[in-house]
Amino acid sequence: MKVFPEDLLYSREHIWVRVDGDMATLGITDYAQESLGEILSIEFPEIDTYVERDEAFGSIESTKAVVDLIACVSGTIVSINEDINDDIGIINSDPHDTGWLVVIEMDDMEQLDDLLDAAGYHDFILQQETD
Amino acid sequence: MRPWRVIDYQTNNAFENMAIDEAIYLETLKKQSPPTLRFYGWRPSAVSIGYFQDPRKEVNFHQCRISAVDVVRRLTGGKAVYHHDEVTYCLVCGQHEKIFPERIAETYEIISRCLARGLSFLGISAALAPQEKKRAATDPDLQSCCFSVPSGHELLADGRKICGSAQTRGKGGFLQHGALLLSFDPWVTASLILSSPTPKQAAQLKKSVVGVNDLSPKPATAEKVCEALRKGFVEELGIDLANGTLTPSEKELSAQLVKKYRSDAWLWRQES
Repeated sequence: MKVFPEDLLYSREHIWVRVDGDMATLGITDYAQESLGEILSIEFPEIDTYVERDEAFGSIESTKAVVDLIACVSGTIVSINEDINDDIGIINSDPHDTGWLVVIEMDDMEQLDDLLDAAGYHDFILQQETD
Repeated sequence: MRPWRVIDYQTNNAFENMAIDEAIYLETLKKQSPPTLRFYGWRPSAVSIGYFQDPRKEVNFHQCRISAVDVVRRLTGGKAVYHHDEVTYCLVCGQHEKIFPERIAETYEIISRCLARGLSFLGISAALAPQEKKRAATDPDLQSCCFSVPSGHELLADGRKICGSAQTRGKGGFLQHGALLLSFDPWVTASLILSSPTPKQAAQLKKSVVGVNDLSPKPATAEKVCEALRKGFVEELGIDLANGTLTPSEKELSAQLVKKYRSDAWLWRQES
């Protein structure tokens, strides 16, 4: 059963966002990790890289595909999850918490208005699956 | 639904092939290109490695050099493939076309059904590998070789892998390409991919891989295989396929991308 934590925002590219002031922690959603299957590799940006909304900030490889990670906010990468280098399996097993990917210092908080809440993301998934 | 474009079989070198695929993909993400099915071969022969693979571990460069075999990194994931006597397909489609589901496994499954339908016109019965098939090869060294292990929804014929496919997804679309072998030489493949191949490893590959012409009642040329595959896609998806060529933008972009695919920076990117 897919999980949609209420305290997160979601993009239509299956990235979740946890906001703390102007810091946004990003990860892939439970739906995304389930669709990807076993995750094998990840390519992170360098710290201090500026990422644009709607552009790829990295890519992730599973047994099925290489998928671009699409930023849903613009800003500077201030942290990446080093724990993933030791155990990439945490992205599959705990995507919304210990499997987080990067922290972005946002420069335009209004971009958060375009994201979905948990119910909205759930509806979006249902719509995708019925199209 | 707008007609698909099919780009007929042509042979190019490895760098050109990967550049053309990526150019079509990038233009498709920008909604500038229609859904496209492209068929091609590789001259000279080449080893391609997955986007995340380390060429130092996955390629026998000495053997590739003396065999005049090129080495290229793909845009897609997966493992090393020796491209010699084969038909490669590349399917690129925008998400907005609403032809394929968003779920990766389901996309694989649909494309595999098209390929299987195509193979049936050559008298070959192919079936989808079970989705949960364990990927581990019996020999750890063989795990770098694409054809050693079938992923879920890839195609098996006579219990052996006949087509290896890989996919990449970006914002708004996907590209999937795959190699359908016409014939398979396990020893040559092992010698180009493994640092010290053994007869046992070659024998294992032989047991797990099969080419079209090992099974087809009549020998099939690349053109004949493409014709059959094209029919498979048309019948399975209920689409119209119109012969086409690259657009001027795709040609321009692929000319630029060839330089990337030829570069050491791209081939060794994981170590740079």
